[in-house]
This record gives sequence, structure tokens and C-alpha cells, in this order.
Amino acid sequence: MHIQPILAALRKHKAGTLLIALQIALTLAIVCNALFIIHQRLAHIAEPTGVDESNVFVIENMWGEQYNKQQAAANVEQDLATLRNLPAVQDATQSDSYPLSTVGGSDNFITLKVDQVEPTTDATVYSGDEHFLHTLGLKLIAGRDFRADEVKDAGQRDVVVPPVTIISKAMADKLYPNGDALGKSFYSMSSTPVTIVGIVETMQRSRLGAWAIPYAEQSMVWPIRDASPLGVFYIVRAKPGQLAAAMQEAPKALYAANRMRIINPKDGLMSFAQVRRRAYDSDRGMAILMGIICVVLLAITGAGIVGLTSFWVGQRRRQIGVRRALGATHRDILHYFLTENLLISVGGIGVGIVLTFGLNLWLVTRFELGIMPLTYVLSGVVLLIVLGQGAVFAPALRASRVPPVEATRPA
Amino acid sequence: MLKMTHLSKVYRTEVVETYALRDFNIDVKEGEFVAVTGPSGSGKTTFLTIAGLLETFTGGEYHLDGMEVSQLNDNARSKIRNEKIGFIFQAFNLIPDLNVFDNVEVPLRYRGMKTPERKERIMNALERVGLASRAKHYPAELSGGQQQRVAIARALAGSPRLLLADEPTGNLDTQMARGVLELLEEIHREGATIVMVTHDPELAARAQRNVHIIDGQVVDLAEDPRFHTAYTAAAGQVRG
Ligand SMILES: Nc1ncnc2c1ncn2[C@@H]1O[C@H](COP(=O)(O)OP(=O)(O)OP(=O)(O)O)[C@@H](O)[C@H]1O
Ligand SMILES: [Mg+2]
Repeated sequence: MHIQPILAALRKHKAGTLLIALQIALTLAIVCNALFIIHQRLAHIAEPTGVDESNVFVIENMWGEQYNKQQAAANVEQDLATLRNLPAVQDATQSDSYPLSTVGGSDNFITLKVDQVEPTTDATVYSGDEHFLHTLGLKLIAGRDFRADEVKDAGQRDVVVPPVTIISKAMADKLYPNGDALGKSFYSMSSTPVTIVGIVETMQRSRLGAWAIPYAEQSMVWPIRDASPLGVFYIVRAKPGQLAAAMQEAPKALYAANRMRIINPKDGLMSFAQVRRRAYDSDRGMAILMGIICVVLLAITGAGIVGLTSFWVGQRRRQIGVRRALGATHRDILHYFLTENLLISVGGIGVGIVLTFGLNLWLVTRFELGIMPLTYVLSGVVLLIVLGQGAVFAPALRASRVPPVEATRPA
Repeated sequence: MLKMTHLSKVYRTEVVETYALRDFNIDVKEGEFVAVTGPSGSGKTTFLTIAGLLETFTGGEYHLDGMEVSQLNDNARSKIRNEKIGFIFQAFNLIPDLNVFDNVEVPLRYRGMKTPERKERIMNALERVGLASRAKHYPAELSGGQQQRVAIARALAGSPRLLLADEPTGNLDTQMARGVLELLEEIHREGATIVMVTHDPELAARAQRNVHIIDGQVVDLAEDPRFHTAYTAAAGQVRG
């Protein structure tokens, strides 16, 4: 429309114009980045672990006595037998960690050659026995499960690198993109090669820190019985529909077999649903906080636009009347204020886009956040333009209703 | 050009009804220069705002350029104001945020005129009022007389058939007032119909015809016995 005279008039209202444009710029930068963080945090919240989550629960078992490696290993075997015998239980296994556990286990660098300096990738190591896949409900898509004779005991500080492993498909694809990983080997922080004997469809890592997200599904199981003197995770799979019963029976049965243990009544016994909730708790909290910040910021900016436009409409009643007298229609006046807001928004957005990427870059270097895709900025731009036009609409409508006779009345 | 018959205008507030115009009759012919006089509060401005389609009326009829206007919607009224009528106000009513050029441009933009034609008309109009050199100035940088000449240029640029002026010299000293009036006379000679409200009998005397309004009614100066006292009173007020 009539952009030139609107711009010319805005030059006479620099302070208000700059204030709103700056507010729009900051809002764009903060909202885009906040939405991006929310998305990054929530994107993985619903991703599958590969575990039969509705039937699996976890017991964190701490020994109440300093057992040596042989005693600990024997205790674990005895406990597993007890658990597997329970009527509501399908199977049970032990590990130093499990998907989404957020604690225990380790993340190892992986190389394809023994003398390779730069690692090819990294992956979570789960210790597990020949019941691990079945208990967690992990789906074997190639190769075989462990044999009982392959499972070795490992104490707290033992470095045991087994000759065989079962890995996730994501990891297999990363190491051998041609799909021929089965039977091949790799090195995992040792000069002993590890041969891939099995591949499971999905097996998520234990920790999903932001840095690990590109490798979220790279993990492997080593045939190790966790004989740590401190304790062990028992992972139990209930028979379908009997999770509650199994969760009741299991700790009782363990205590009955051997009292020298501690199962924390608060979080020593957790269904997998609880595990998942705990794992994403801070992500959800962060997302909600960011969401609130966005809403508040948008509301403040919207209110600022409503306020300033209302003030300007009041201030310009007479000139609106004059414009009407000179032939402006309702629609012309409405367009005037909508266009004026659009011009301010475009200016603010121009600065805001620079700020958005600046803030994103800073977050990338400071917090290992990803680079923001353009779609976020585009959505932010659309959001702010809609917000601006929406906020300006009511005062602009009021302006368009100023009667032409206003031009003749004394100021 | 402008014909009102039995026209009335009532202002209703919560407590009172004011008859600003009652049984108001006037017929201004095409090309006439009419001066409207009358005491303060008699309804002169009300008459002009209705004549200029700035306001609606309560009863009676109003034909503008042969067209009955009471049924027109707001957009049609805006279009007529824009194309046929030029306004000159006592308070100049320039838009303070815009420079002289942009001020004169306002009605032309609402007409949807193309840029080259707008530019030509604006410069012509400003030359006629002798302010072409001030095109980039802002209203606050001009004297009252200059501002009113800009307002006249703004009214002229659209080549209106009817020029309505409400005390165009009311805020000006005698010399500047004379300049403005000479400009109006020139515009009139070129064919425009002019209706000018004024308190100044000297200016009124220079018009082709005088219309006197008292209490919302047009009175015949020659016949109405009320004329002498009222007219003298009004003139006295202004001079006093
Ligand atoms: N918006 C309004 N609401 C109520 N009454 C009004 C309104 N406008 C005008 N009036 C009344 O209508 C009458 C005529 O007013 P108008 O402004 O037309 O007088 P005027 O002849 O132009 O006076 P002046 O010479 O002082 O400008 C006055 O009594 C005035 O109080
Ligand atoms: Mg008046």
C-alpha cells in the first residue's frame, strides 16, 4: 500500500518504533531458540528403547555385605534363579545398566583397526547374560543369542573384553554401512577384537545427554555377569498383564532368599514406565519452563503493541479525522495501522533473525545444542507477524471508526 | 450544486437535544462563491460538515451535484469527499508527521492516482500557492499563512468542484487573510464553487452572495427584522 508516507511518518515517532521493533527482535530470538530447545528435548521422549516396556521392571539390588567376586557372582545366579521361579515372572537377567537407566554402565570408544587413533564412534556397553535379550524383549534380527558358557564374571574394577558381542542395528550400520556387520569384529578400548555374533533391532543407550543424541541407539551387550561387590541391577520381565503382581513378589522373594541386601523402598523398584519418566523428567521440566517463557514473552510483546498502537491512535485522532475527510475509507485507515505494524515488525524481524542465529551459535558452543534449522526461524517470523497484526487489529479498528467530522472539531 | 431543503440536524446527548439546524434551506449554484456568516453557535460549522458529507443529518433532503446523499454508504461518501470536495479548515489540519509534499499527496493517494500524475498535480498546486520551494518542509516549520496555503494546495490538488472553507482566515492576521482570500477568488474564477464560513464582514462582502445563519436557520438579510441586532452582535464579537 502507501509504504513511503507511512515510513515517513514513523520517522517522527522514532522512540516508540524502535522500542517495539527491538522487542520484536528479542522475542523472535528467544522464542525461536526456546522452541528449538523444547523440540530437541522432546523429540526423543517418545522414541522406543527396544524394551518390552509394559512388562519389564528393574530392581536396584545393593549388597549389605562386602562379598568377593565369586560370592557376588554366586549370589546373582541364586537370585536370578529365585526370580525366574516366581509365578508372575517370565524371565530375569542382571546388568550394570539398562536403556534409559541414566546411571551405571559405560560408554566406550569403538575403532575398526587396532591402531586407529580417531574412534569410529562410541556406544554404551551393557553387561548381560544369555537371558538379557529375552528378558528385555529385545528383538534379535541377525545372528544368535549368547550361550551360557560365554558369560564371564566381572568384579568392580576388572577389565574384561569378551570375544563376542551382540550390538544394536544402529551401531552395526554405523560400523559396517553395507549391512554385513554380522561376523565382523571391532576394537573397544583394547587390543582384543570383539566379534559381532548377533544384531538386535533397537536397543537404546542408558544416557541420552544432548551430546549423545546422534548416537542414541548405539549400544552393545557383552556376555558378562556383574559380580561387583556393591550391587547389581536385576531386570525382570513379568508375564503379560502380571506386572503389578511380579513387582510385589520379587523383592519379597529376594529378601526371603538372602537378607543381606538393600532394595531402596523409594526407587529401588521401578516399572519401566517409571524409568522412562525419570529419564525424561528434566527434559520435560525444561520444555515446560521454556514454553512458559515463550508464552509470557509473546504476551508481553503483544501487549506492548496493543498499548503503543492504542496510544498512537489516541494521539492521531484528529489526523485520522482529516484523512477521513480527505477521502480515506474505514478500510484505508485500518490498512494504515496494519501496514505500519507490518513495517515495524519487518524491521524488528530483520534484526531478530540476526539475533536468533547469534543466540543459537552461542548456545551451540556453550551447551552443545544443534544448529537451528531455518524452519524454526520461518515459523518464528510467521508467529510474530501474526501476533503483531493480531495485536494491532483492535486499536486499528477503533482508529477506522474515528468519524470524519473529528477533523472539524477543535483539538 | 448544493441544495438543502427542510434539512435538520439534532445533536442528542444524554441530557439535551440540540437543534443545530432546523428547517434549513439553501441552494448554491454551480460556480457561485457564497460567504456564510452568523453568530457563534448558530450552526455554520454544522452546515459545512453536512454539506461536505463529514456528518449525516437528521431530517430533510440534501442534493449534492444533483444526487440525494442520505442513502449513500460510508465508502461512497468517502469517494465523493475525495473526488468532488476540497476542505479548508480554520485550524489548517495538516498532518504534522508528514512534510508539505506528502500532506498534499494524501487525498491523491486515496484516489489511487499513479505516481507521475500525483507528482505533477502536487507541484502544480504548490506552485499556485507559492510554496513549491517548501515541499520538503514540515508543517511546524511554516507560518500560519503558509500552512493554510498548503491546506489550500491540498484541497486544490484533487481539482474539486466544490470547495468548503470553515473560517479559513480565522487564525491568520489581516495581511495573510487577504492573501488567502485572493487565492480563493482566483480558484473561484477558474470555475470552482466555493462556500466559505467567516466571521469577518469585510471578507464576506467580497463574496458573490452572503448567507446568514441564525439559530440553525438561513435568514434573508434584507427582510428579516432580527438581522440588524444579530449581525451586529456577531461582528462585534469578532472585532472585540
Ligand atoms: N457534536 C456536537 N454535539 C452536541 N452539540 C453540538 C455538536 N456540534 C455542535 N453542536 C451544537 O450545535 C450548535 C451549532 O454548532 P456549530 O459548531 O455549527 O456552530 P458555529 O456556527 O460553527 O459556531 P462558531 O462560530 O462558534 O464556530 C451549537 O449549539 C453547538 O453547541
Ligand atoms: Mg464553527
